Amino acid sequence: MFVLPPPPPRYTIPVAYQAGAANGMAVPVVETNNTITHPEGGCPLQVGEALFLVPTVDSNVLIRDCAAGTYTLKDDLLLATPPPHPSEAPIVNPNPLATVPSPPTSGVKLCLVSLDPRKKPPTFLKTAVVAPQFGDGNPALAPPAPPAKEKDAQKRRKPKNNIIKSSSSFVSRVITHETSTKRLNDRDQNGVFAFANINRAFQWLDLSSASKEEHLTKVLFTKAHMLCHDINDMTKTSSHLDIVMGSSAGDIIWYEPMSQKYARINKNGVINNSPVTHIKWLPGSENLFLASHANGVLVVYDKEKEDALFTPEAPAHPEKDHSRLPLEILKSVNSRNQKSNPISLWKLANQKISHFSFSPDQRHLAVVLEDGSLRLMDYLKEEVLDIFRSYYGGLICVCWSPDGKYIVTGGQDDLLTIWSFPERKIVARCQGHNSWVSAVAFDPWRCDQKTYRFGSVGDDCRLLLWDFSVGMLHRPRAVRSHLDVRSLGSITNKLEQHHQNSTRQQHRSSIVGPGSLSTHRNRADSGGTRFRSDSDRTEKFVDGDFDPVENHPVEPRSRTALLPPIMSKVVGEDPICWLGFQNDCIMTSSLEGHIRTWDRPSDSVVHK
Amino acid sequence: MKGLFGIGSRGNGASSTPSPAAPPVRKDPQTPQITPLEKRLQDMGSIRGDGSDKFFGMENYGNTCYCNSILQCLYYSVPFREAVINYPRRTPLESLEAALAKNLRFPNPNAHLEAEAQAAKQKAQAATSPSARQAGVTPNQPQKPEDKESPEYKKKVALQTLPILETRNNASSYGMSESLFTSLKDIFESLVGSQSRIGVIRPQQFLDVLRREHEMFRTAMHQDAHEFLNLLLNEVVSNVEAEATKHNFVEKALPPSESVDSLSTMTPSSGSKSPNTTRWVHELFEGTLTSETKCLTCEKVSQRDEVFLDLSVDLEQHSSVTSCLRKFSAEEMLCERNKFHCDNCGGLQEAEKRMKIKRLPRVLALHLKRFKYTEDLQRLQKLFHRVVYPYHLRLFNTTDDAEDPDRLYELYAVVVHIGGGPYHGHYVAIIKTEDRGWLLFDDELVEPVDKNYVRNFFGDRPGLACAYVLFYQETTLEAVLREQAQEDQATSTVPAENGEAGRTNGYPLSPGLSHVHSASQVPSDDPNRVNGIHRIPTAPQMSTHPEAPEAEASAPQPVQPPQPPLPTIPDEQHPPLSPKKSDVQSRKERSKEEKERKAIEKEKEKADKERERAEKLRRKEADLQQARQQMNERREAEDFRRAVKASEAEMAKNNDGSELGPENGSPRKLGFLRRGSRSLSQRLSKDKEPRVSTSDLPPIPSPVPEAPQLEEPVLSPLPQKETPSLPNPKLVSRNSPPVAKDSKPEKTGRWRSLSLKKS
Repeated sequence: MFVLPPPPPRYTIPVAYQAGAANGMAVPVVETNNTITHPEGGCPLQVGEALFLVPTVDSNVLIRDCAAGTYTLKDDLLLATPPPHPSEAPIVNPNPLATVPSPPTSGVKLCLVSLDPRKKPPTFLKTAVVAPQFGDGNPALAPPAPPAKEKDAQKRRKPKNNIIKSSSSFVSRVITHETSTKRLNDRDQNGVFAFANINRAFQWLDLSSASKEEHLTKVLFTKAHMLCHDINDMTKTSSHLDIVMGSSAGDIIWYEPMSQKYARINKNGVINNSPVTHIKWLPGSENLFLASHANGVLVVYDKEKEDALFTPEAPAHPEKDHSRLPLEILKSVNSRNQKSNPISLWKLANQKISHFSFSPDQRHLAVVLEDGSLRLMDYLKEEVLDIFRSYYGGLICVCWSPDGKYIVTGGQDDLLTIWSFPERKIVARCQGHNSWVSAVAFDPWRCDQKTYRFGSVGDDCRLLLWDFSVGMLHRPRAVRSHLDVRSLGSITNKLEQHHQNSTRQQHRSSIVGPGSLSTHRNRADSGGTRFRSDSDRTEKFVDGDFDPVENHPVEPRSRTALLPPIMSKVVGEDPICWLGFQNDCIMTSSLEGHIRTWDRPSDSVVHK
Repeated sequence: MKGLFGIGSRGNGASSTPSPAAPPVRKDPQTPQITPLEKRLQDMGSIRGDGSDKFFGMENYGNTCYCNSILQCLYYSVPFREAVINYPRRTPLESLEAALAKNLRFPNPNAHLEAEAQAAKQKAQAATSPSARQAGVTPNQPQKPEDKESPEYKKKVALQTLPILETRNNASSYGMSESLFTSLKDIFESLVGSQSRIGVIRPQQFLDVLRREHEMFRTAMHQDAHEFLNLLLNEVVSNVEAEATKHNFVEKALPPSESVDSLSTMTPSSGSKSPNTTRWVHELFEGTLTSETKCLTCEKVSQRDEVFLDLSVDLEQHSSVTSCLRKFSAEEMLCERNKFHCDNCGGLQEAEKRMKIKRLPRVLALHLKRFKYTEDLQRLQKLFHRVVYPYHLRLFNTTDDAEDPDRLYELYAVVVHIGGGPYHGHYVAIIKTEDRGWLLFDDELVEPVDKNYVRNFFGDRPGLACAYVLFYQETTLEAVLREQAQEDQATSTVPAENGEAGRTNGYPLSPGLSHVHSASQVPSDDPNRVNGIHRIPTAPQMSTHPEAPEAEASAPQPVQPPQPPLPTIPDEQHPPLSPKKSDVQSRKERSKEEKERKAIEKEKEKADKERERAEKLRRKEADLQQARQQMNERREAEDFRRAVKASEAEMAKNNDGSELGPENGSPRKLGFLRRGSRSLSQRLSKDKEPRVSTSDLPPIPSPVPEAPQLEEPVLSPLPQKETPSLPNPKLVSRNSPPVAKDSKPEKTGRWRSLSLKKS
């Protein structure tokens, strides 16, 4: 039997729980070293040889789950929670009703990076991505120094400051492993590095090493906690990694671990002083990255540009009523003033942006917010296309299917929701979590053009796996005899929506590849109620008095398909907050620092 | 860098110092201070007539926080407040004012100054002998006695400086005899009629009535807030219905239309379409549950409807309210000792049971069952499970034919229990007001809080404070969107000013939070306020602090509590660390780290052993828990069996008796009247009995209208024993509830709760 280790030490000790527990355990000591456990045959994830009934137009067809097998837990790496900085003595407030806001925290999140091309997830896009660069056409953003074109790794520009010798009050200190140089030289160049945040520490781990629990470098910050981080896929080489991380203070660190150099962006929150909730390099960009802040602002920064005090710029189209728009462009990428950060700054709402995700075709952006909205953007054009809403409660996580057709969100309604991007509608709700869903990810090694596999983790300490196929999704759970007119809105609205739908559909089909285009067309046409539209319709929406953004109503439960999970398992004792799929494993990380790795079933072959 | 550190350390103190300019201002006792609440209530305009702009604390008479928190939650339910005020009719504002002129007392304006003087004296003392200061004031207090952040201190100040509102029995002017309902109405009307927006209300008279009629509340013991809510709603129902009955007799001679008129003056906003206006509590809080039981032998599905005023849900570690509600409706096997008595096959059979919500209440009161009976300890224990609750909710567990199954609810109030167990502790309420955001109601103290504050009570944070009762009210997506848009606008101006005020190195405060930090400011007299001549002689006894009930008990309460010293020392600013120092520190730290690491290597071994031991312990505990669970199951099975027997017996009796309702029902009614609230819920659930699938009567679609005519002739000889609003006199139940709640070791089992307990 797999026995989970005792609750790890935290310095937010759940006193309440301890006091409530009948026989409270000893006060946990603060450990500073990571530990690893190899549970014997523990916590297997069994994905059954399930046969599932897929209703199609003419009959039910049984489809064999091609990805059956048992995932076995390889190890459980527990990151050590660093003790608080001496200058930050924990303020013990005996009053549980104290109205002092608590600092934002997030659980452990991981960034995995490997140079091995075999570890790259399969791509499903029929054609190569030809999306233009962000800010294309703005001469102010054109690369000023042509020599940078040279793809020589040695010439990659590094940040300016040495983090080890830093005298900054932001960085507390850096602990490098005694043999880190040796380890770096001896390692398999195709191995996987992992970067993980825990509390005020940021750790660099070598997952392919025999002693992977021993960090290569641990950066300790003074007060701020890193909440999110990302590695630039474009610039990674064996001697260079561009990492950006966003902190609870709003500051952003650009960090190059090989040379231990760093730079601080948005220093002291000069551009935006709200915590960074998520950060990602712009796909295809070496320098630009997008950060979402807790006050509902999306900012594109350049890693090499200096900060400047931000003042909102006048809108490019003053005739438009900007307060009504779902996206307030406080600085456009097309601005002439691009000498300093930010490159662009958009205000979506005054609600926290929980997460965002770039589409595989690199043109679109899905953003989820605490207000329960999913906003789909054409970020290159700086416009919002659709606003969908959760069933209820805030949305927490979002991801795209590898082919860019579907978006999956997870939120405070304990649901995962599948949305069709080209059809601009909800496809299904997935019920199975017992608490809020904290992370969702597709498993590209288990996806093909017909079936999709994704996983999700949540505050219920569970890992769930889900399968869906195109055919099974287009069925509502139960067809109602009477239509709830109220929830549908007026008929005219509905027709208008259809009209728009089909317009958009044509507009969007280009992005999902030629193969999928026909399928969508067919489905749309078979609906019978859909209108065909002429192409100038789109134009009309853009410059007419119509709001080009479509605000989708919440679909009632009775008209939405409900999907059960194929696997659900409690994998820990604390909320799970991150999930990642690799070619050979599934990984999760938890609030308290457990990084668990499950090997994929050895016998199963990827069915294509 | 130095500057940075300065900012950073200011950030540490930012919780108490809203701006650098604040401390010097506070030193001047003459300067009128504005409380955080007053700050939030600025630009409210003139006093409204609907009571939505009254924010009163409630005096605690010793462990009456259960009552205060629930009353506040009910007051800020708009439809409930309006219904209470408007039923049976609204007291004209003039007469209210006449009554209130006597009841609203303003404190001595000098009380505040005296307190300041005392504080200054104390401070002087403290300067000479710091130890004396420490020893001087209530040494058992965990906090520094002069900590003006402490709720005790703030409550004292509130009692001394804010207007005090006494409630008075005004029942006769409502044409009713004094009851819990009329005293509730007294409180609500006093608040509505008050000329002051803030103050402290004394629910003394309400408590008197409560204690007079309910023995269990007579002690000064800690009570369960959920039980109180349930009792209060039941009492309001019965008071109102009893009065209506009386009323009907008095006005029997009058044409019925007139009497209806007089009643229908009630709340227009409750949206009540029902002709029977006494049912407004039902219309707000009542929902219907259907329990579908499918006999696995004959496959027959029997349905039974019961009404509920709140739902009690079992909790699981790391779950959400959504999940708890779904578990509540999860399929349940009735087998082994817990078999189902099937009428079709006759006899105990295995069956599948599900509970679903058929009619959704407008206000959904969710009781999180934090207090669980543990067999081995022979007492209730508090569960500190982390149970998350969203700001909005829809119910998944509705029947297919439920009306508006996708109804959207918004969280509007949370009752929080603070404490380690069910027998002591403290309750507070966090309530979303109509237009002034979220407020914390802690007895006398009312403080504005941030929206995120509501999420501090999932149960996983230190301090033993957990959400206990959640109030969700119906809303629409449009309303939610409108509110979100307003939030956007309201805070859109803040960032700019926040930006120049500087920020912390560590945690910036989100713009919406800024107002909270002024919490440290001392409430004081508003110069514009009318000052009365009355003066409170002493501050009343403080509530026991939840965290230190023993300490409180051991500390002899002074008859005349010392005047709370008004501390004039500004909050300690953390001296800015010079960069040099920080460097030194970090170097030291580094060497320390090396040492530590070695020590830790050693400790690691120890820790491993420790872990092994802990592991064993845990396993043992798990076994124990399992055994406990088995015991529980057995016990519940036993209860069920007993209940089934009882129901059979009852059925037999009912079958013997006449099929006519009144005869059948009246003895029970008598019992109900005698037993007070105890079986009221039973009666309520019987109201709906006719919907039982096996009933001989057709289901009654609209239960109310015909009732009076039907019952009146029967009633006249037995006026005291009947409740004419009973929709259907026929109370025969074939499928009586299999759950015997009374025998359960639930705390709520002391009387029968309308809330549905899943056994």
